[in-house]
Amino acid sequence: MKIIIIGAGEVGFNIAQRLSEENHDVVVIEKDPVKIRSVQNALDVQAIEGSGTNPSILQDAGIQDSDIIVAATDNDEANLFACFYAQYLTDFITKIARVKNPDYMKHREIFKQDSFTIDLLINSQSEMVASILKLTEVPIASEVIDFVDGRVKLIGITIKEDSPLVGRKLSSFQEYENSILVGVIIRGEKVVVPKGEDVIQANDLVYMVTRREDIQNIFRIMQIRREGLSRVMIVGGGETGLALAESLDATTINTKLIEKDGQRCLELAEKLEKVVVLNGDGTDREFLIEENVDEVDIMMVLTGDEENNVLISLLGKALGAKKTVTKIAKLSYIPLVSTIGIDTVVSPRLSAIRAILQYIRKGKVVCVAPLKAEAVEAIEFEALETSDIVNTPLSKVKFPKGAIVGAIVREEEIIIPRGHNMIKPHDHLIIFALKDAIPKLEKLFTVKLEYF
Amino acid sequence: MRFQQIFRLIGILNFFLGLSMLAPLCVSLIYSDGSFAPLVYSILITSGSGLIVFFFARRIDSSSLSQREGMAVVTLGWVSAGFFGALPFLFSDSISSITNAYFESISGFTTTGATILSDIEALPKGLLFWRSLTQWMGGMGIIVLSIAILPFLGVGGMQLYKAEIPSPVVDKLQPRISETAKSLWKVYLLITLLEIGLLCLGGMPLFDSICHAFCTMPTGGFSTLNGSIAQFNSAYFEGVITLFMILAGINFALHFKFLKGDFKVFGRDPECRAFLLILAILILLVTWNTYGTVYSTVIEAFRYAAFQVSSIITTTGFVTANYEQWPALSQIILVLCMFLGAMAGSTGGAIKIVRIILLVKHGYREIFTLIHPHAIRSIKLGKKPVPPDVVNSIGGFLILYLGICIVAVIFMSGLGLNTVTSFASVAATIGNVGPGFGLVGPVNNYLSIPDVGKWVLIFCMILGRLEIYTVIILLVPAYWRK
Repeated sequence: MKIIIIGAGEVGFNIAQRLSEENHDVVVIEKDPVKIRSVQNALDVQAIEGSGTNPSILQDAGIQDSDIIVAATDNDEANLFACFYAQYLTDFITKIARVKNPDYMKHREIFKQDSFTIDLLINSQSEMVASILKLTEVPIASEVIDFVDGRVKLIGITIKEDSPLVGRKLSSFQEYENSILVGVIIRGEKVVVPKGEDVIQANDLVYMVTRREDIQNIFRIMQIRREGLSRVMIVGGGETGLALAESLDATTINTKLIEKDGQRCLELAEKLEKVVVLNGDGTDREFLIEENVDEVDIMMVLTGDEENNVLISLLGKALGAKKTVTKIAKLSYIPLVSTIGIDTVVSPRLSAIRAILQYIRKGKVVCVAPLKAEAVEAIEFEALETSDIVNTPLSKVKFPKGAIVGAIVREEEIIIPRGHNMIKPHDHLIIFALKDAIPKLEKLFTVKLEYF
Repeated sequence: MRFQQIFRLIGILNFFLGLSMLAPLCVSLIYSDGSFAPLVYSILITSGSGLIVFFFARRIDSSSLSQREGMAVVTLGWVSAGFFGALPFLFSDSISSITNAYFESISGFTTTGATILSDIEALPKGLLFWRSLTQWMGGMGIIVLSIAILPFLGVGGMQLYKAEIPSPVVDKLQPRISETAKSLWKVYLLITLLEIGLLCLGGMPLFDSICHAFCTMPTGGFSTLNGSIAQFNSAYFEGVITLFMILAGINFALHFKFLKGDFKVFGRDPECRAFLLILAILILLVTWNTYGTVYSTVIEAFRYAAFQVSSIITTTGFVTANYEQWPALSQIILVLCMFLGAMAGSTGGAIKIVRIILLVKHGYREIFTLIHPHAIRSIKLGKKPVPPDVVNSIGGFLILYLGICIVAVIFMSGLGLNTVTSFASVAATIGNVGPGFGLVGPVNNYLSIPDVGKWVLIFCMILGRLEIYTVIILLVPAYWRK
């Protein structure tokens, strides 16, 4: 596919990198010559210096024979206009625009008319809110990813030193064999695609696949009572904080929202019912203790200042918050942050990147790329009738090294597979794979296509 | 620096270089000229050693390659190609000394066309074909060829491409580097086939047509005949070759766009206009200068002037006239051509027109700001502004180019060569032209240069082909420090 990406900021750059590594033809349009230079040096894409809202630049980029345009600059209006020109210049192009202003999202029907359609509007903030809300379903998890419309969940859990799982062999989970499968273990820098004899160690990040209705089994093997989420503290009453508070307002969860600015607190209090709005500074230790931070299940730190967010999260953890979720915009900070003891990082840019990549891959490949290990992906594949893998027991299929089937989805049924299970045509498979194994996997699933 | 990775890539390169020798092997089979066994040995050694290095060097990450590593791969790749390319000459005993064989081989790959052979026609057909093939592969670039064939180079391919392509600014024709390389090679192949066809139509034997086309399009200049193109004494062949030398001197990106249906691209490109204008003026000057003094008719003067000026300015180095007997002005013009070169992005060598244009504009801007001290003026090529760092790097290139020329000329004269030969041999090799003046003039060859001198010239050829920076950086100690 040929894909035009406008804007080589963090979002544009990362999308361009992923797509070019997947052998798509990528053209990047960017105004800033310095960014153009870094794109040229680092990526195998065509880089064009100029504005994405200039139709003749779009034509230079070859928009006529492109399949997708992704407008990912920091400027909403520039992104929308780029899509508008794209529609004018060519009829059949898929248009994806990143918008920050939530007002555009509220009126998305405007972008669904015949005269002007945007196929996908990405609002990184609402993507991020959605991913934080998913975390509240499984509070012990550091990451929750949905497959097949949320019917299959991939849950990432960091194993603490006092966890009952430490030292257990994976094969000892047999009584749950039909509901839980450990797909990937991330141990420090290493990524392990585990076998039965592997043993879980403290500080592992374990990714497990399970059905939505079987989540309680995870609590059972972790030997913790299913404590529903009861107390949440949100620091920062910006747009993200408000959106989250509004969602939590409708639940029974006890929510406190901390905001520095008194005037903003008034506005927040007007919009919220049950949520307790507190006027105070998240970096104030006494204030946090006074508000019982030690009893909080999740502390969500979402102010606009990312350096401050890190410090507030560390402070909260030190004062006894069970879990923290920290908002960080800059992608290059993310790997650093996990080494200093912050549980979960959310990033609007990362959310936008994932949402765009998922859409482009159209369900064929669902990117997981956990924060701590860019090297693994969870991929959703459809098994074709002509493929070698169908109607063979899984244990006989020659999967490449570093790949494991996490779930088989057959119409309504979801199978957590064992060696004797067979793949039937049109099954959807969720597969964990190291980056190196992905091309081989793709081959395994499509090699017979040539005989059509 | 990850040496394993570098050697691994060079290993692959050598493997394919060995495979390319299958072509001359076929030729030797057809003519059963006795070069079969030497070629088989060469293939086994070249491909075999390539495979051994490939399998023994540990694989790290094939997709990433730093700019530094890219430069090392390209430079060392060319040096080793020169070595393995020399094997057929050595094994067949056509050229007995290693220095001479290496000189002939690297002169082929760098598309210089300087030869040490006095009796070219005595060579077996297979080896004659190999000589032409080295030029043809070296013209568009052995690295660019491998990028086109090998899909896994990825981003690393861009670093290699930048290090090899003869142009101050690197443009991609297609989003992906492997596609860009493929497009360039397709255009190159197409124009070469066209030339083979036209030469055949004029009655040149197929073998000679192929060899000459293979040496025209890379602006190489090897011939299968002792007397070069002059031996045919045919205005038609000279016309066809002149035309294709000029085509080869034009940026292949423009050919690509032309073939895509953008027919006005040559007229629109400022460098192309300047190149054709300079070419026309110089041809007319030489015609005017030689008419009446050397040639009796204007037509005859034009015929030889057009061929010779095109041949030297595009750095091809085919010869139809003994230009050493021309008047001084014409000779000076040819010397000038040796330094000018053709367009950036063509297969030609030397300084190249775009650099000259930009330096002239830079000079004019300096004068302009003396007159208007507050003026802000950007240097433009056509309508596109050129970033200041590109202009700076061109200034640096010119200083290095001339500096290396001077040092090499001093060295050559120190070996006891006369003034004209010292000067011409260096200018003709660093510019990848081939024939020069004096002992290395159009009717002579490089055999008489002392061995040490040949190695200096070999170095000059590689420097010229890879546009200095790529090679010279390996000689800077800081490059090797961690």
